[in-house]
Amino acid sequence: MDALRGLMARLRAMLRGRQADRDLDDEIRSHIEMETAKNLALGKSPDEARRLALAVFGGRDAALEAHRDVRGARWISDFSRDTRFALRSLRHNPVLTVAAILTLAVGIGANTAIFSTLHAVVLRPLPFKDAGRLVMLYETNPERGWTQAEVAPANFFDWREQVKAFEDIAGYPSFGTTTVLSHDGEAQVMSVMQVTGNFFDVLGVRPLLGRAFTNEETWDTGERIAMISHRLWSTRFGSDSTLVGKTITLGGYQVRVVGVLPQRFVFPGRDPDVYRPTMIDRTYAPQAFFRRAHWLRAIARLKPGVSEQQANVQLQVVVQRLQREYPATNTKMGAGMRPLHRFLVGDVRQPLLALQVAVGLLLLIACANVGNLLLVRAADRERESVVRLALGAGRGRLVRQALSESLVLSTLGGLSGVALGWAGTRVLSAMQPEGMLPVRDIAVNPSVLGFALGVSVASGLLFGIGPALWAGRRAPAEVLKEGGRGTSRTRLRRWSQGLAVAEVAIALVLLAGAGLLVRSWLRVQSVDPGFASEGVLTMAVSLPPGVFDTQPRRDAFYAAAIERFRAIPGVEQAGTVTRLSLTETGWSSDFHVDGREREDFGVEVLHREISTAYHDALRIPLQRGRAFTDADNAGAPSVVLINEALAKKYFANDDPIGKRVAFDRYPDSTSFWRTIVGVVGSERQAGLESESRPEFFAPVLQDENGPRAFVIRANVPPVTIIAPARAILTELDRRVAINAVRPMTEVRDTALARRKFVMTLVLTFAAAGLLLALVGVYGVMAQLARGRRREIGIRVALGAPLTDIRGMVVRRSLSLGLSGVAIGLAGSLLVTRTMQSLLYGVSPVDPLSLVLVGATLALAAVLASLPTAWRASRVNPTETLRAE
Amino acid sequence: MADKNAPPPDVLRGTLDLLILKTLTLEDMHGWGIAQRIQQISKGVLEVNQGSLYPALQRLEQRGWIASEWQVSDANRRAKYYRLTASGKRAVGSETANWRRYVSAVDLILET
Repeated sequence: MDALRGLMARLRAMLRGRQADRDLDDEIRSHIEMETAKNLALGKSPDEARRLALAVFGGRDAALEAHRDVRGARWISDFSRDTRFALRSLRHNPVLTVAAILTLAVGIGANTAIFSTLHAVVLRPLPFKDAGRLVMLYETNPERGWTQAEVAPANFFDWREQVKAFEDIAGYPSFGTTTVLSHDGEAQVMSVMQVTGNFFDVLGVRPLLGRAFTNEETWDTGERIAMISHRLWSTRFGSDSTLVGKTITLGGYQVRVVGVLPQRFVFPGRDPDVYRPTMIDRTYAPQAFFRRAHWLRAIARLKPGVSEQQANVQLQVVVQRLQREYPATNTKMGAGMRPLHRFLVGDVRQPLLALQVAVGLLLLIACANVGNLLLVRAADRERESVVRLALGAGRGRLVRQALSESLVLSTLGGLSGVALGWAGTRVLSAMQPEGMLPVRDIAVNPSVLGFALGVSVASGLLFGIGPALWAGRRAPAEVLKEGGRGTSRTRLRRWSQGLAVAEVAIALVLLAGAGLLVRSWLRVQSVDPGFASEGVLTMAVSLPPGVFDTQPRRDAFYAAAIERFRAIPGVEQAGTVTRLSLTETGWSSDFHVDGREREDFGVEVLHREISTAYHDALRIPLQRGRAFTDADNAGAPSVVLINEALAKKYFANDDPIGKRVAFDRYPDSTSFWRTIVGVVGSERQAGLESESRPEFFAPVLQDENGPRAFVIRANVPPVTIIAPARAILTELDRRVAINAVRPMTEVRDTALARRKFVMTLVLTFAAAGLLLALVGVYGVMAQLARGRRREIGIRVALGAPLTDIRGMVVRRSLSLGLSGVAIGLAGSLLVTRTMQSLLYGVSPVDPLSLVLVGATLALAAVLASLPTAWRASRVNPTETLRAE
Repeated sequence: MADKNAPPPDVLRGTLDLLILKTLTLEDMHGWGIAQRIQQISKGVLEVNQGSLYPALQRLEQRGWIASEWQVSDANRRAKYYRLTASGKRAVGSETANWRRYVSAVDLILET
């Protein structure tokens, strides 16, 4: 208790040096006054009394100085002395120092790079006003497996009007679109994000120039307007401050620019060039499809003082009312909300956290390694330490000195680490697959620097504390008596073997995680997407709607293009589809089979619109019935193809061919019926990792639904037909912009890219961890053998076979490795369980990869001991014994 | 708790610490009063160097043996009063014993 009080007094004094000085000043003044009073009482004159009192005191400054010394200012000078000493002794050991700093730099650098990404993406608030008050609203439907679905616009407007807990709700279509900007005689593809008129108000974003959209512009006002991004403004329009109010040619129309967004405005995951108001036709509002089609993302701002829960309660009341009011569209249709930030970064949160854990483990291994290096040094300096102890140095002082050495090391490592991390951050954002990280400005900032500093100091303490305590705990007599060998090192050896075991264990956890990711990746890669991607080129084009304003005009363009593509040498087949497989799921509908009971209601199917040759071009087999022909045109009876998944699920017992279907939940007299004419093989629509879903195909001539992409099959490498294909399109119409030209194999790779990226990083970190652990085990074994040179010498002298000596070293190393493997296996069972969402087709406890990884590490332990074993067996007994 | 491994304090400093502690066993006192008391009791033999008095007080406070507080003195002046803490009281005993041992050791040497 008193000791605590003493410590507090010292801390207080250190923190408030000036205050302490003032305190002492007061005390001295009171002392002098008392002395003066005494002198006065003895009959001296007032001046004399005061002079004498001051003389007795002997100078205020000297007293202050002496006082400060006791108070703890000495700590500061001790600290700087320790630091200088540490730097000097590190300079004397350049190899060790550089090895330690490099090891730490890699560990801290990797952590800094990953953390700056994590910070930018997951931790930093969105660049909106009061972003914490924004929530994403979504619809749910357990019957269809919708958990966070887009909102139907009619529901959106009802929520906006009826839920009082929200200040306002803004919306944007979940799909991005593209358009063509014609400027200076050149057509360029622009990405477009449509937003409701109140979008920027709800986010609290003010335009840099001009105005934001108004609420009224949610609806079609008859005027074409746009806001443009800062990037487009500065790159295409030379930051022209008079641009606002002028018109630009967008999609073949004259569009007036009303505003320019500020540079720092970024909507995570979307990075459009142009923003346009939704301009919804007011006559849509009362129609059924306005409540059936779900395509709006809805962002709500909570009213001040209203909690998310309170808002949710209100939302549910409205949702239930809508369910009763509109049974045809809203039965089973629920709703929910999440903080906007969580919603937008949800996808990358898990992989980033996994990466952070991986680099954290890597840093632990690095710390263990450096700790071991320092332990070896502490042992070498043992005599120095104990001599100083024997001469009266404080143990606390010795510990502090050893610690300051590790702190100096970790600071140097940290500085190099930050530099590495800065570079790593650039590499990371350059390497990341398109669209993985929803924000652009990933950088080392003050929070990241704070993190790096914290990590450096923490690691310095972590690897320094063992050697430091050890240095302080030695009993001088014991050590001096032993002459620096023998039993005194047992504890040291135990420390460093413990560290080696820990390294192996952590490396195993890392490798096990990496192993699971590799296995998942292999699994995903061998997934059959349902089509042959080799030899196929895909091209997405934007037709300016102002030019190609009717379907027959568009049909004519595509037909002409397909015909000319087929004439390119090497091209076998060409067609169009409204959405490429493996990209995203597009439109889906209810459907009903004519003549069936109502139990089948409420089933959801995807649908796409294709030209005749689509399936043929992708080598998707026709299983029954017939494919589309040119006769299935706008005037002919409506027909559809179904995929195998749909046939299996809904036509298990009867023949689908000839059956009629309608895309309605409750078919009535207005329902539009189509006849199934064939069954084709299933494709994976949303990505390699999600199963094929039931799907309909309609001839695009009968049912156009959104822009079309070309698929061209060739018996030559697809990249070789890019140039002629481009030329054909430009020749057909210069106003058409070509936005994405990719071989289908690249589409496939893109679907795998994110997984591959995370896997590559974890694998890299795991490999680095394995390497470090290997070095660590080697170091411990070398040190162990050196400590037992005398014993080995004697054994050799007594005629022990060399294989025995070697076996001894290898066995010891293997047993270290096996202990590490055992601990690591237990640890990995805990860690890999949290990786579930990153795995595909493998269980978090995967015996095969665990066995492989365990065996790898055991083998590594043996390998790491071989140089030492070899050297030990060549020990010259005479020399060794004489040296002792 | 005192640092058992600290090097033995130099004799004079050690003496002053002990004298301060002893003085404070009688009553809580301010710095000037402590100096006066030591002079009086030692019948003027021991003169307390004021320049080392306050560092000594500081040191004792850091060891947790004494505690201080600003109070108003009998003469109606503000002064910093020091008092012994529980461990300070224990320390008086052990420090006195140490001192006696030291003195007798020195005596032994001087008498041979």
